[in-house]
Amino acid sequence: MEIKDFLEETTQATGASGYETQVASIFRRYIEGVSDEVWTDPLGNVIAVRRGPRENSPKIMLAGHMDEIGLVITRIEDGGFLRFTKIGGIDERTLLAQEVRVHGRSTLTGVIGAKPPHIQEPDERRKSVPMDKLFIDVGLEEEKVRELVSVGDIATIKRKVISLNCDTLAGKAMDDRAGVAVVLATFRELVRLKSQVTVYGVATVQEEVGTRGAQTSTYGIDPDIGIGIDVTFADRDDLVEERAKLGKGPVIAIGPQVHPKVYQRMVETARKRGIDYQIDPSPHPFGTDTAPIQVARSGVASILVSIPLRYMHTSVETLKLRDIEAAGRLLAEFISSIDAEFVEGLSCF
Amino acid sequence: MKEILTKLTRLYGPSGHEEFVRDAIKEMVEPHCDEVIVDPLGNLIAHKKGSGPKLMLAAHMDEIGVMVTDIDKEGFLRFTKVGGVSPHQLLGQRVVFKNGTFGVFGHEKLDDIKDLKFEKMFIDIGATSREEAEEKVSLGDVAVFDRDLVEAGDRWIAKGLDDRAGCAVLIKVLQELSSSPNDIYAVFTVQEEVGTRGAKTSAYSIEPDLGLAVDVTLVGDTPKAPTNAVALGKGPTIKVKDALVLAHPQVKESLVEVAKSHGIPYQFEILDNGGTDAGPIHLTKSGVKSGGVSIPCRYVHSPTEMVSKTDMDNAVKLLKAYLTSVQV
Repeated sequence: MEIKDFLEETTQATGASGYETQVASIFRRYIEGVSDEVWTDPLGNVIAVRRGPRENSPKIMLAGHMDEIGLVITRIEDGGFLRFTKIGGIDERTLLAQEVRVHGRSTLTGVIGAKPPHIQEPDERRKSVPMDKLFIDVGLEEEKVRELVSVGDIATIKRKVISLNCDTLAGKAMDDRAGVAVVLATFRELVRLKSQVTVYGVATVQEEVGTRGAQTSTYGIDPDIGIGIDVTFADRDDLVEERAKLGKGPVIAIGPQVHPKVYQRMVETARKRGIDYQIDPSPHPFGTDTAPIQVARSGVASILVSIPLRYMHTSVETLKLRDIEAAGRLLAEFISSIDAEFVEGLSCF
Repeated sequence: MKEILTKLTRLYGPSGHEEFVRDAIKEMVEPHCDEVIVDPLGNLIAHKKGSGPKLMLAAHMDEIGVMVTDIDKEGFLRFTKVGGVSPHQLLGQRVVFKNGTFGVFGHEKLDDIKDLKFEKMFIDIGATSREEAEEKVSLGDVAVFDRDLVEAGDRWIAKGLDDRAGCAVLIKVLQELSSSPNDIYAVFTVQEEVGTRGAKTSAYSIEPDLGLAVDVTLVGDTPKAPTNAVALGKGPTIKVKDALVLAHPQVKESLVEVAKSHGIPYQFEILDNGGTDAGPIHLTKSGVKSGGVSIPCRYVHSPTEMVSKTDMDNAVKLLKAYLTSVQV
């Protein structure tokens, strides 16, 4: 149940890109018991380490990002209404009528209001409302708003996790607290496994604005193998390409950003251990932490493992817990199978 | 300030050709620094030694321009842009090349002015043949706006205030900062307008503990402007975000604290489009806590950029106070 608790707690917490400290402290609390050491780097990445048997044991880095898409206040209007812009790729069409938290001098609850349908022009009814026409209403007098909120303050979507059934959860910021949950699940699995390597579990910052935390944390760690853990599009019949299915296991990517030998070992491990997995052939560069991981320093053998997710970048992102647990088992078994010889072989093409 | 700004904005210095600006700045800051060096890409790094943490400030020397891509047999030049130049900003402008050759813009017959694109435009340098043109200009040569600085009340109007205004502020800070416990690197960077390139390499070699970009920022104080709370004359801005960086909350808050305690007016900068040198600085090596102080500027990337004198003076005050008091 702990993974479910972790996911509920972190997705209900707030952590817009650049402001991830709440999520960071929850992650620290959960991971400390299964790590040799945990620290925070200058940009705020939280790095947990499980040391290998030797000083020079090979290094494997796992990265799931803590940050979520969010909003930032750009102007306080007459009447105390707040104008905003976005941090990261929020789907602007889904903002209407959302509940939000405004992180000012104190945390205020607000709603994103809209013009009632009765008084909309016929033209307006057929269109989604652009972000520059939206505003946050915190229900206070202008003077009070100005006292508590300042331009530059952050706002995030407020949303409780709901169980659609015991294993299926919907909420905001599953992208990518699910990936952070996989890091935690992997560390917990590693407790019972033998490992020849040093494992770094990184909860990264600022992925949604350009995979920034992964860039600096990978530089600092300088790993031999880097594994980005994110979410991927699942089960939509309106998507042309074949997509991953919820509940059918983690999705292993293959493409130019994935080292073929790491991919091969990952798939072999899944088969050998009887863990369900899916494959996502992707010729395009991924917009995930795997991108900066691959090109850090002199280059890192990298891979991307994803959790199937429906309705990405909305406040009802939906996933199945069993995919997270399976990903944790897969990555732990993969790590446990790696030794110095395998790592040396990565540069023999 | 007037003297510095007049001199700097008049100089030719498109991305990749910052040498005149660099030489002028070097002369102004050298007496006030322990060491001034030029790195391989041409960044000017002015170092004021201190025993404390390493603070890097960056203001870029380069400006936008246009580059010659073809010379036709009548002596007209076709061109492309260096940095964020818009075709409509060029109409009616005069530009100047490094060797002093002037050029003006013309365009092919257009059915609708909305069809104005670089491909339809040309530079006329008064030549009557390819041969005559080639005596003055070669392929790859870059021209910049030709426009002197003027004063209008509390405002300066000039080309290249982005970011010679930032350079001027940084020069003043170096000249007036008597002592600081911190180890200060003021970097006058190259090639910001083409992708914040100089800041990337200079931050790599300096490895600062804290980074600040000193640049200009957009405003929303003109008729029917896009939503932007920043206005000219209401103080320098403290960066919350731009397209390339989310300011570290500690950096933002400590700047606010310093501004408040010294009674310096300030505003917040939230820039959706457009990045600054703080972008590459904060992603250097294992990461650098970064932010920025910007000067509100109207009509950015036009030949008539406008800033407020008091905003610039207050930016100098804010940075001086910050550099002497900040703890990383």
